[in-house]
Amino acid sequence: MTKAEFLEGLNEELEFDTPLEFESDIKGHEEWDSMGAMILIGYVSSKTGITLTGEDIQNLKDVNSLIEKVGTDKFQ
Amino acid sequence: MFQKLEGVSIACVSSCVPKNIKDNSSFSELLSPKELRIFEKTVGIKERRHAENHITAGDLGYEAAIQIFDHYKVSKDDIGGVVFLSQTADYKIPFTSNIIQHKLGLPRDILCLDINAGCAGFVQGLGTAFSILKTIPGKKILFIVAETLSKIISEEDRATSMLFGDGASACLLESTEDKNEVSYFNYFSDGAHYDAIMIPDGGYRSPATEKSFIVNEDEKGNKKSQMNLSMDGPRVFDFTLREVAVSIEQILEESGEKKEEIDYFLFHQSNQFIIGQISAKLGIPSEKVRINIDRFGNTSGVSIPLLITTFADSLSGKKILCSGYGSGLNWGNCIINLSETKLLPLKEI
Repeated sequence: MTKAEFLEGLNEELEFDTPLEFESDIKGHEEWDSMGAMILIGYVSSKTGITLTGEDIQNLKDVNSLIEKVGTDKFQ
Repeated sequence: MFQKLEGVSIACVSSCVPKNIKDNSSFSELLSPKELRIFEKTVGIKERRHAENHITAGDLGYEAAIQIFDHYKVSKDDIGGVVFLSQTADYKIPFTSNIIQHKLGLPRDILCLDINAGCAGFVQGLGTAFSILKTIPGKKILFIVAETLSKIISEEDRATSMLFGDGASACLLESTEDKNEVSYFNYFSDGAHYDAIMIPDGGYRSPATEKSFIVNEDEKGNKKSQMNLSMDGPRVFDFTLREVAVSIEQILEESGEKKEEIDYFLFHQSNQFIIGQISAKLGIPSEKVRINIDRFGNTSGVSIPLLITTFADSLSGKKILCSGYGSGLNWGNCIINLSETKLLPLKEI
């Protein structure tokens, strides 16, 4: 999976009107809420096997920081 | 705490829910159509039952219990105890179990006990009732779980209003001669998070005053008073993903039971997404998991026995692992056998 494919899949799951980009502030997005957090955790878990914690979500900034958290070795 | 109990079993289970169905269209002022669709996709709730004003948890519990006496051959004189578990009991004082003892016409030579417990309540209450049963040979125990959570939520709070439903289940517990009839329980608590799910006012730490009933609005537009249920969703969500699967691995290890030998896994119906995550972590195939959150929402401690009765056809005679988690924070699991258990059809009032 490439980083672009990861982002595309995440956008499909979140269904935000304005899709996220790599530099987008995830939690600052106007449609971000607890359901978004659930979808994000589920998506990351299904794609990488990693379960993000509440603290991980708290520390999340943009999509790049999410990819770093997940581990860049997970991507082509 | 790990508990092994021999020679006790559930003889009969019945459930009762209010007739009044509240579907998601009732919340169209709270969520946009897109938000409602995503709510259904993730949380999984399409409708829930809400009791009418005059129906209490005690009423629902009584109706579930009377089903057992109507459809299962048992003498009321053989009942040695009534354990009633709820967070929405009929009164602060007295116990609801006492009221049910009288309404059912049960003997006075009886232990009546109320337990205030939440979403892990079925596991906690069943383990407690089984433990009592072990000490009263020849007697049976009526274990009732009942909730009317619709009465404590604010309809304008997105964090709680759409989640919870009302219902009750009753289990008749009896001793068996069979020493191979073994049940296993484990229990966990983390009181550091006592405030993750709570009603802030109305107890004696923070007595109800006029201010307690003032509706406040948070930054997300949710409106509720200090007398309504408040839930820190992300904290509870984080806790369930962190602790529940591990605790299930523990009970399997301590009991010596193999995951593959469990016929069905019944998770507290808090959230379809969470159930999926826990199942995936444990490698449990979806055909071994039963879900009815779409029809009843989160009914707290009632959700597991309500699952048992709504899936009676597939669960009858099976070995099941039940997992409860919620307010307290408390969580726990049990492995029980339904081989001798009569499962009654769902009753509506």
